Amino acid sequence: MIPTILMAAPVANDWITLDFVSLGQNFWSATFDGLTFGSIYALVALGYTLVYGVLNLINFAHSEVFIMGCYAVFFTLSFLGFGPSAPNLGIGQIVVNLLLALLAAIVASALTAFLLERLAYKPLRKRNAPRLVFLITAIGASFTIQYLIFLWRGPVPEQALTMFQTKPIFEVFGTIIYSDQILIVTAAVIMMVVTERFISKSRTGRGIRAVAQDPDTATLMGVNKEKIIITTFVIGGILAGAAALFYVMKIPSGVVYNGGFILGIKAFAAAVLGGIGNVRGALLGGLLLGLIGNYGQILLGNSQWTDVVAFLVLVLVLLFRPEGILGTSLGRSKA
Amino acid sequence: MTLLELDDVSVYYGRIQAIHNMSFTVEEGEIVSLIGANGAGKTTTMKTISGLLNPTTGTIKFMGEDITKMKAHIRVVQGISQAPEGRGIFPAMTVLENLDMGTFGRKDRSGVGEDLERVFDLFPRLKERVKQYGGTMSGGEQQMLAIGRALMSRPKLLLLDEPSMGLAPQFIRQIFKIITEINSQGTTVLLVEQNANQALARAHRGFVLETGEITHSGTGKELLANPAIKEAYLGVG
Repeated sequence: MIPTILMAAPVANDWITLDFVSLGQNFWSATFDGLTFGSIYALVALGYTLVYGVLNLINFAHSEVFIMGCYAVFFTLSFLGFGPSAPNLGIGQIVVNLLLALLAAIVASALTAFLLERLAYKPLRKRNAPRLVFLITAIGASFTIQYLIFLWRGPVPEQALTMFQTKPIFEVFGTIIYSDQILIVTAAVIMMVVTERFISKSRTGRGIRAVAQDPDTATLMGVNKEKIIITTFVIGGILAGAAALFYVMKIPSGVVYNGGFILGIKAFAAAVLGGIGNVRGALLGGLLLGLIGNYGQILLGNSQWTDVVAFLVLVLVLLFRPEGILGTSLGRSKA
Repeated sequence: MTLLELDDVSVYYGRIQAIHNMSFTVEEGEIVSLIGANGAGKTTTMKTISGLLNPTTGTIKFMGEDITKMKAHIRVVQGISQAPEGRGIFPAMTVLENLDMGTFGRKDRSGVGEDLERVFDLFPRLKERVKQYGGTMSGGEQQMLAIGRALMSRPKLLLLDEPSMGLAPQFIRQIFKIITEINSQGTTVLLVEQNANQALARAHRGFVLETGEITHSGTGKELLANPAIKEAYLGVG
């Protein structure tokens, strides 16, 4: 018996067809949806970029910081009585529920990031471990958290929970914009702007930038490097927690033990695309990756291509700009 | 009054001993110069005093208090400030932001403006370039910025690690003149240098460091007149 998916597989001469007609017809809906997913990538990308800035470490376990936030959203909403179909609630009740879920996600993700830094990375710093040891530890920590969740929840994804019935809000270029898109993009942009302002203006933010640029000299200025490092992890966790809420809102069925992996890889790619270590780069990279993925998907007529196209663009950009679009150093971008 | 006292300090990098049983003092109001060749242990000594490195044996006292185990970022608040080797300018921060980093550990925000004026008086060039990024400045300007930034914490003891390194001769004379001026305004200075001539001429006292040990000590004039030092460090036979 031939599986239906193989019978439906396109023949060799049409699987590279570029469907510009579809792209033209769906351009704006692809754009708005791309920006929505891009905002989520960007929030997670900030966590990679900030930690890379202060520790020169690609924190591969950040995807698990994110998935812990997703679980917190799931459990909070389950507790509040949500199910697969959207409850019929007033706007006030929806807002309260979302805020509770957001709070739970932020606490869960920030706590995971905090414990990760304290239990996995800080002991290595005390021993002056080489960079490769940090990288292997990051990968090991990622698997450890994944399998701990696996032991607890098993291999089956959690039941999908719908938070609210998305409503069309207004129309732009003949395309309907939905309430969840507006909510996600607005909230994400506000969080990113606040983060950017915090890094560039606050005392702690100056400490983060100083440690990123020259950790020893930062210490000589009176900066407590250890405090800056743990703060950076917690900020990354807070942003990942917010991203978790938005992600579950868009993809309610995605909460599973290894569900952070793909999103983590994409967010990391977004950080590299914009220039890793660069806060504005993470924002730009996230939005671009979201858009490119969605355009590519429509152009090639198959959602399996979303990630391939996105990574192809990433490789092409890095060929010409190895430091990413805005360059690598934290706070170095003057644009 | 003795400001800084090192007593029998030894420092290791792994198994390699970089500093051997070093003891010396810096009195309040002095300029003390520590001279030596590359690899003699000058920077190691500085990092040990500022707390970036920890001694294996021995004690370090600052104003009579044992600071051997005190964390580096707290020593700044206590009054030890360093312009590090290679200047350590934050490349992606402006001149003003770099100077502001010098006040990071300060509790008295009210005195900051006054100290900024003092730094601009000492280094007028920094005032002209407040908005320029640190990474785009010349070596001499970066050295001025490093010293100015170290002064922004209003230190009791200023540590200068090779302030003349990589600078043109006219810059070197200017930097040393300013160091003397900073000292006359009341800041104690401990200086390490390869440029023994200038460093000893400006110092009240000096020490010669060879492979991690102090081999000569005396006033700046005495060391300048010592034939062995002349031959080894001053390029005179």
